[in-house]
Amino acid sequence: MIDAVKLTKRYGELTVLDEITEHISAGEKVVIVGPSGGGKSTFLRCLNCMEEPTSGEVIFDGKLVSYIDPYLHDDLIAVSATCKKLVANGMNKKDAVEKIKAEKLLRKNEGGEFKTAYKHLEKEICIDLNIARRDIGMVFQHFNLFNNLTVMENLTLAPVHLKIKTKEEAEAKATELLHRIGLYDKKDVYPSTLSGGQKQRIAIIRALAMDPKVMLFDEPTSALDPEMVGEVLELIKQLANEGMTMVIVTHEMGFAREVATRMLFVAGGKIAESATPEEFFDHPKHPRLQEFLSKVIKN
Amino acid sequence: MGGFDRKIQKFWTYFYEYGGYNDVLIGLRNTLLIAVIGLVIGVVIGTLIAAVRVMPKEKKATGILNSICDVYVSFFRGTPMVVQLLLAYYVLLPLLGLNFSSLAVSITVFGLNSGAYVSEIMRSGIQSVDPGQMEAGRALGLNFVTTMTRIIVPQAVKNILPTLGNEFIVLVKETSIVSFVGTADLYKAFNDMGTNSYEFMVPYIVMALIYIVLVLVITFMVKALERSLGKSDRRS
Repeated sequence: MIDAVKLTKRYGELTVLDEITEHISAGEKVVIVGPSGGGKSTFLRCLNCMEEPTSGEVIFDGKLVSYIDPYLHDDLIAVSATCKKLVANGMNKKDAVEKIKAEKLLRKNEGGEFKTAYKHLEKEICIDLNIARRDIGMVFQHFNLFNNLTVMENLTLAPVHLKIKTKEEAEAKATELLHRIGLYDKKDVYPSTLSGGQKQRIAIIRALAMDPKVMLFDEPTSALDPEMVGEVLELIKQLANEGMTMVIVTHEMGFAREVATRMLFVAGGKIAESATPEEFFDHPKHPRLQEFLSKVIKN
Repeated sequence: MGGFDRKIQKFWTYFYEYGGYNDVLIGLRNTLLIAVIGLVIGVVIGTLIAAVRVMPKEKKATGILNSICDVYVSFFRGTPMVVQLLLAYYVLLPLLGLNFSSLAVSITVFGLNSGAYVSEIMRSGIQSVDPGQMEAGRALGLNFVTTMTRIIVPQAVKNILPTLGNEFIVLVKETSIVSFVGTADLYKAFNDMGTNSYEFMVPYIVMALIYIVLVLVITFMVKALERSLGKSDRRS
């Protein structure tokens, strides 16, 4: 469902993600853990391009949501001015392409043929990011409910504005979702009157109101009072059991073990380990993960 | 204070019996027209400029728009409004061969000038809104403009309302310069009365009182607006 190909994110000199390639299939519940600053949140945020990758591509449902990374398309490199120059100097075309990829030789302007090919490829494989995001629900650490709108308006704004649903349909869906989490009586209040746990559960159903194909959770319980963590995790578990595809960044190890079909350990900008929860927690292979787990579990 | 009695008497004669109140009413209307429409134009222009300022910077078009906004803001903040008024009315209009009333020119200049100031107020307002609000909107698939107009700007306006009220007050008071191009505003009405009666003291006092009352009314209205917009902050 989501493919990350050589995903790299740099802030100046700092490399946060280092050529991560990962496939997330439909129905999977992937839980990402790792030390802070290791890149797990950045990886998650790259999946719906909240962070724009520096290089590499993100493919959702077979369509490219990030920009085209020319180094991942040999055909594109083959028509570049740089490649033609190398071939004219007696290099074999295949070697020239490899050389350009290895040494990142593409320049800003690679000639008309390159431009045309790029545009053509764009038309063929890219999907408008705003369209793709309708199917990728995202839940944030700090909830980010729209403060100027009531709960009901929070739930219906996007589906109605994007003409995915009529106002009546959106309100019916929102009502159903609010009943489900037991907060229907809060439908006309503003977010400032809600507790953290209530806000986060509403943020979750706000994403659900779009009928997404996949949900991304960015540390959904990290900003909550301990007593409210349970209600939010419970809701996420319910969704997991219903078969929603999920990618979750969290520090809640017990929850991770319970809900995950696969665990990822992200540290130093790389996926250091990918395993089933049993393998991951009981027989960690990577020394960095062993160290991480021993610290986390002790607490 | 016998002399003062006579001054008041004289003022009343010119104000009431000679129909000076008509000029005052027209002046008041023009003053409010210039300030109100000026502010509306200012808010629209200011919001647009502020939106350009906070746009993601990668694209070339954004860079060009940003430079245009820079020049605009520098010009209107860098020259006195009187000078802008004079340039517009005595230089720009003749050069372009246009013929607009001095009132229309005053309103336009006030709007353009206010836009430069409001843009900075609005930018700080937009930046005061939690960036998570923009992220949440974009993550749902809403585009930049929709998220801006439906989520960010309403919250920004609420945050900057006191400052915006201040700008409105400044505009109302600044209108007293439009007589430079012959627009009949409040100041001109009272000044004419003084000129006609050779008696300036009372007209100017009354004029000051009217300005004060205007500003107090505006202050009251802004506070009321603040309260009604603040409803999403109140815990029920």
